[in-house]
Amino acid sequence: MTLTINVTVNGKSVSADAEPSTSLLEFLRDVLNYKGTKLCCNTGECGACTVLFNGKPVNSCVVPAADAVGAQVVTVEGLADGEKLHPVQQAFIDTGAVQCGYCTPGFIISVKALLDRTKRPTPAEIEEAVSGNICRCTGYAKIVDAIALAAERMEGSTLGIASGGRS
Amino acid sequence: MDYFKPESVSEALSLLAKYGNEAKIIAGGTDVMVDIKYKEEPGCLVNIKRIPGMSAIEESGGSLRIGPLVTIREIETSKLVRERLPLLWEACHQFASLQIRNTATIGGNICRASPSGETLAPLLVLGAKAKLAFSDGEKTEPFNSLFQGPGKTSLGSKGLLAAIEIPYPPKGSSGVYLKHAVRGPMDIAVVGIAVLVVPDSAAKTLQEARIGLGAVAPTPIRAIKAEAMLRGKPLDSKLVEQAAQMAAAESSPITDQRGSAEYRRWIVEALTRRGLEQTWKAATGKEVA
Ligand SMILES: Cc1cc2nc3c(=O)[nH]c(=O)nc-3n(C[C@H](O)[C@H](O)[C@H](O)COP(=O)(O)OP(=O)(O)OC[C@H]3O[C@@H](n4cnc5c(N)ncnc54)[C@H](O)[C@@H]3O)c2cc1C
Ligand code: FES
Ligand code: FES
Repeated sequence: MTLTINVTVNGKSVSADAEPSTSLLEFLRDVLNYKGTKLCCNTGECGACTVLFNGKPVNSCVVPAADAVGAQVVTVEGLADGEKLHPVQQAFIDTGAVQCGYCTPGFIISVKALLDRTKRPTPAEIEEAVSGNICRCTGYAKIVDAIALAAERMEGSTLGIASGGRS
Repeated sequence: MDYFKPESVSEALSLLAKYGNEAKIIAGGTDVMVDIKYKEEPGCLVNIKRIPGMSAIEESGGSLRIGPLVTIREIETSKLVRERLPLLWEACHQFASLQIRNTATIGGNICRASPSGETLAPLLVLGAKAKLAFSDGEKTEPFNSLFQGPGKTSLGSKGLLAAIEIPYPPKGSSGVYLKHAVRGPMDIAVVGIAVLVVPDSAAKTLQEARIGLGAVAPTPIRAIKAEAMLRGKPLDSKLVEQAAQMAAAESSPITDQRGSAEYRRWIVEALTRRGLEQTWKAATGKEVA
């Protein structure tokens, strides 16, 4: 049985077919061609596939694509404003929080969700926000630095960070 | 695979009747999606998320009614739960990652009936009741008879969990949920223990102690012998020790990759001791003598 999925991805309405068993991750990557969201464990453990689902971070590998009908989904491709990176992306680069980069899109989405919830996260809130994201390279210290830097920059600026923006 | 999105409980029940063992209810999908990928595809998925009236947390008299579609994160961020049922709040706070908490539902956690399910020992100890919908009517089932084995509830393949009713614990009581897992909240519990103590009004003796054990028997269980030892007695460290040993003896853990049976019994003993000490102190302001 094939289902038609009408969903808004990064501010753009799209419509495509999926099976009832298709995960949102497979749908984004293999049907809609948003390859920024990564496939890693495929069991909900690692956070590489994190996307915003109606504003909340979820692991898209364990969310059925069928549930995305009518939903707002934001992937890492949806954060930059044209050529200008989102402050969270820029902070990850500036602090050297990216090594192989495979975990990075998932982290960036989790951090975006954190900074949407709280402007000035405490160290405990930072830790909680990314505790569902695994990084095998960096040892996490630089990622925590990046989050603190992004929070500082966003607090200091008036940048309206749209969730859409991918044209 | 067939797929349905029923819009009422009765529509869902007739699908379950029609498809029998082929049908699989899906709520958040954090268990079902993984099973589809790595175990087996059901013949038919019944997505219950569109059924109205199953997504609210409501106060009614001296209890809280929680819809099965309420997510773990919604429970964790509910002021009502935090104030009235801190024990359940605690279990939801220690439940996997934010991403999973945003997706997983309490109904899914209950119906999965995993012995290690985070909310189960707390719900047992709180005296929760499940409202089960069957095609011939609704039934109220106490949690201590709901679980029949790993993955098995009295719902069988024909029923739907429609609501959870949780009475507020007695005034002056205190509860705690202690989870032992290798990677903290991120990991499935090796042992999970819920303790609720009710001291008498003079804070001298234990009117009642309730101890729920998770991940150490085919279903979550109450340590009823340990509870009986404690009832009506002044709490001192000797009694705490005896009750903790009794709780360990009442458990019947298995050995798996997360820990041996012997190790799990040890942890039951240690966490029961710690749980009794912590709740007694929180309820009475006094250390265990
Ligand atoms: C990475 C990861 C980490 C996890 N960590 C934890 C953890 O720390 N603690 C923990 O307890 N669990 C954990 N789980 C397991 C899982 O997330 C929970 O059991 C969750 O609560 C299931 O809810 P769901 O809505 O996703 O259920 P689903 O996957 O949709 O359903 C689970 C089961 O319940 C049935 N069902 C659902 N709703 C109903 C209903 N209303 N009536 C009848 N049957 C119903 C389904 O048919 C299925 O058998 C984890 C899972 C993953 C993937
Ligand atoms: S790929 Fe989804 S959590 Fe790892
Ligand atoms: S940068 Fe390589 S996994 Fe995180």
